Amino acid sequence: MPTTLTPPGTRGRTPAPAPARPPRAPAATWVIPLILGAVTVFGLWWIDVRPAAIAAGFEDITRLLGRMFPATTGPVPELAALVVETLQIAIAGTGIAALVSIPLAAGAANTFTGPRWVQWLCRTLIVVSRAVPSLVFAIIFVRIFGLGPAAGALAIAFHSVGMIGKMMTDVFEEISAAPREAVNATGANRFQVFVATTFTQALPQMTSFVLYRLDINIRASSILGLVGAGGIGVALQRSIGSLDYPRAAGIIAVIIVLLLVLELISNLVQRAVSEHAGDTKHSMTFPPGKELSSPGWNAPRVGRSAGLLAGVVLFILSLSALSISPDRLARGWENAVAMLTGFVPPVFTAEIALGLFESLVMALTATTFGVLIGLVIAVFSTDHLVKVPVLGWALRGVIVVVRGVPDIVYAIVFVAALGLGPFAGFLALAISCTALASKFFTDALQNIDPGPIRALEAVGAGRLQAFVAGAWPQFVPSFIGNSLFTADLALRESAVLGIVGAGGIGFLLHESVTSIDYQSTAGILIGLIVVVVTVEQMARWARRKVI
Amino acid sequence: MTLEKPAAETAQHSPSITLDGVVKRFGDNTVLHGVDLEIHPGEFIALVGPSGAGKSTLLRLLNGSHSPTEGRVQVLGREPVRCSRRELRRLRTEIGFVFQQFGLVGRLTALENVLMGALGTLSMPRYGIMTYPKQLRERAVENLERVGLVDQRFQRCDTLSGGQQQRVAIARMLMQDARLVLADEPVASLDPAASISVLETLKKLSAEDGFTVVCSLHQVDLALEVSDRIVAVRDGQFILDKPTNATGEPEIRAIYQAHRGA
Repeated sequence: MPTTLTPPGTRGRTPAPAPARPPRAPAATWVIPLILGAVTVFGLWWIDVRPAAIAAGFEDITRLLGRMFPATTGPVPELAALVVETLQIAIAGTGIAALVSIPLAAGAANTFTGPRWVQWLCRTLIVVSRAVPSLVFAIIFVRIFGLGPAAGALAIAFHSVGMIGKMMTDVFEEISAAPREAVNATGANRFQVFVATTFTQALPQMTSFVLYRLDINIRASSILGLVGAGGIGVALQRSIGSLDYPRAAGIIAVIIVLLLVLELISNLVQRAVSEHAGDTKHSMTFPPGKELSSPGWNAPRVGRSAGLLAGVVLFILSLSALSISPDRLARGWENAVAMLTGFVPPVFTAEIALGLFESLVMALTATTFGVLIGLVIAVFSTDHLVKVPVLGWALRGVIVVVRGVPDIVYAIVFVAALGLGPFAGFLALAISCTALASKFFTDALQNIDPGPIRALEAVGAGRLQAFVAGAWPQFVPSFIGNSLFTADLALRESAVLGIVGAGGIGFLLHESVTSIDYQSTAGILIGLIVVVVTVEQMARWARRKVI
Repeated sequence: MTLEKPAAETAQHSPSITLDGVVKRFGDNTVLHGVDLEIHPGEFIALVGPSGAGKSTLLRLLNGSHSPTEGRVQVLGREPVRCSRRELRRLRTEIGFVFQQFGLVGRLTALENVLMGALGTLSMPRYGIMTYPKQLRERAVENLERVGLVDQRFQRCDTLSGGQQQRVAIARMLMQDARLVLADEPVASLDPAASISVLETLKKLSAEDGFTVVCSLHQVDLALEVSDRIVAVRDGQFILDKPTNATGEPEIRAIYQAHRGA
C-alpha cells in the first residue's frame, strides 16, 4: 500500500517551514554498490561461477568430507607441542610488534616535532607493513631464517607492527595536548615528555589493541605452518601433503576448538578488564602505604602488577622458545642481504599483473556475496524484522563456528575437492566474508536505536515498513562502512590463497621465493602493496563520504 | 652585554623580566605593538585585559615558546631567542608555568602528576611513582601539603574538582623551585570561590618562596585582590602599569571600560 507511506511525509512538511526534504544521500552511497555490482558480474564470468558448477562442487565437497571421517588427530603429544608453539609464535610476534610500534607510532603521529624525513619513514613503514599479509612475510622469513617458529614469529611481528602502529598513531593524535605542553614547559626532554604524558594517556587503549591483536595473531599463527613457519599448521600441511584426510580433519577440528576456546577466554578477559576499568575511577588508585610518599597495595594494584608480570614472563618464555641463536641470526642476516640485493631491479610481468587482478576480482566478488548473504543472516539473527529467537541463536552459533576456521583452511578443502583455481578461492572467501559481514551487521543492527521503529509501529506501520523507514536509515552508514572493511580484509586474504593453489597472486609469490627469483618477488610485493593501499585509501575516502 | 654575565650574579640584582620594544606579529596580524616592561624579583604582577589583547602571547614570549618579531625579551638574565634547545630547557626548569587547562594526566594520581614537575632535573623518563627518587617523592608530598591536598595524593586527577586540579598543577610547578612563575588565565575555568582560593594560594607561596609571578587574568576584581602591580593590556599595548594599591578609582574604571569596550 504505497498510499500509507505518504501521510507521514506530508504531515511533516506542513508545520516545518524549513526544508522538510532530508539532505540528499551522498553519491558514495550508490556509486560504491554500483562499482561492486559491476565487478561482481565480471568476476562471476572470470572465475566461471555457474550454478551447475556450484551444485557439482557441492557433491565433490560432500564426497571429500566423507573421506575425512572418521577424523583422527594422530599422536596427541606432538599435536599439543604444536599448539603450544602456535601460541608462542603469536605471543612473541605480538610482543615484538607492540614494542616496535610505540616509537614508530610516536614518529608517525602529526604531533611529532622531529625531522620530517623521520616522520615520513615511520608512516611508510606502517603502511607497507599493514599491506603485506603475515603469510607473505612468513614465506619470506622462512627463506631467510629457515623452517620453524622463528620465521613465524617475525612474520606475525612484521605485519602487526603496521596494524598496531596505525591504531596507536590515531590514539596519539587524538590525545589531549594540554599535559604535553605543561610537562614540556617544566623543561623535561622530549623522551620524558612523551613517556609522562602521551604514552601514559594512551596506555589503556594501547593495551586493549595489543590484546585484540594477540587474538587475531593466534588465528594467523595457526596457519603459518602451511609455508613451514611453525605452529599447528605444520601438521595440517603434512597431513594434506600425504593425502591423510582423516588426520587433516582432526587437526582442523583442533584448530577450531583452540580458536573458539581462545575467543571465549578473550571475551572473559575483556569483560573483566572493562568491569575493573571503573574501579579506580571513583576511589583512590592506591591506599596509603608505609610512608606518605609510597603507595600501598590494594586488589586492583595487585591485579595490574600480576597481569603485567604474567605478560612479560609469557613474552620472554615465548621468545626463548623460538630458538634464535647468534649464528642462526648471522646466517639469517646473510640471507636477508642476499634477498634484498636480489630484489633489485624488481621485475613486473603481465603474469604478475594478471595474478594481482585475479586476487582483486576474487576478493570483491566474494565481498558482494558475503555482504548480501550476511545481511540476510543479520536480519534473521536480530529481531527488528523477523522475530524467531531460536533461529537467531542458531545462526549466531553457526557464524561463530564458521568464523573460527581460517579462510585458507576452507581454501585447502575446496582445492582438494574442486581442483586448483580461483573458484576454490572464491568459495573460501565468500564463506569467510559472509561470516565476517553477518557478524558486523548483526552487531550494528543490535545497536540501533529502537525508538523510531516503535514510533512507526505505534502509528500503525507494518513490520517491513517500520524496518525500512525506522531501522534501515540508521543502519546504512555502518552497512557501507563494514562492507568496505570486509572488502579490505578479503583482499589481503585473497592475496595469500594462491599458496594452496586457490587462485590469485599468492601462487606466483610463493613460487618466486622458493625458486629464488627475487626480482619477481619484489615486483609482486610492490604490486601487492600498491593495490592494497589503493583499495584501502578508496575505502577510507568512501567511508568518510558516507559516515 | 648583560648576556655574558654569569646567571647567578645577574639574578640577584637585575630584574626578573625585561621587555624592550617588543613587537609580535603572526603573519599580518600584529598582536603586540612595541611594549616595554620591567619586572622585579618577588613581584606579583596581574596582567589584565580582554581576551585577544595579547596576554597569552606575552606569556609565551617569556618562556620561549614564541620569539619576538622585533625588540628584546630578557628572562632571568637570558634571552630565550638566543638559547639553544638545551639552554632553553634549562631556562624552562627555572620558570614555572600554570595553565588554564591544568595540563594534568587525568588517569594518574595527584602525586605522580606533581612528580612530573621534577623531570627536568632527571635524565631518564619515569613511569610510576616509585620510579622517582625517594627525596623527590618526599618533596612532592610536601608540596601537595602546601596546597592542601596531601590526603588526595593517591587519587586520580580526573576525579578531583577543578580547583583541586589547579592546586595539583601548582604543586607540580613548585617541584621546579622556580624563580619566576607564569600563569596563563589560571582561574578562567574555575568557579568564583575556587578562583579566589587558588589565587590566594599562589600569592601565599610566592610570598613564602620569593618567586616572581606574572599572572594573566580577565577578572579585574581578582587582580585588584591579589596582585602587587597591575598591567592592563588592550589591543597589544599597555594602557596601565601601576602598583595595585596606587591604582585609583578612575583608573580602575578605565580598565573596566577597556574590558567592555573591546
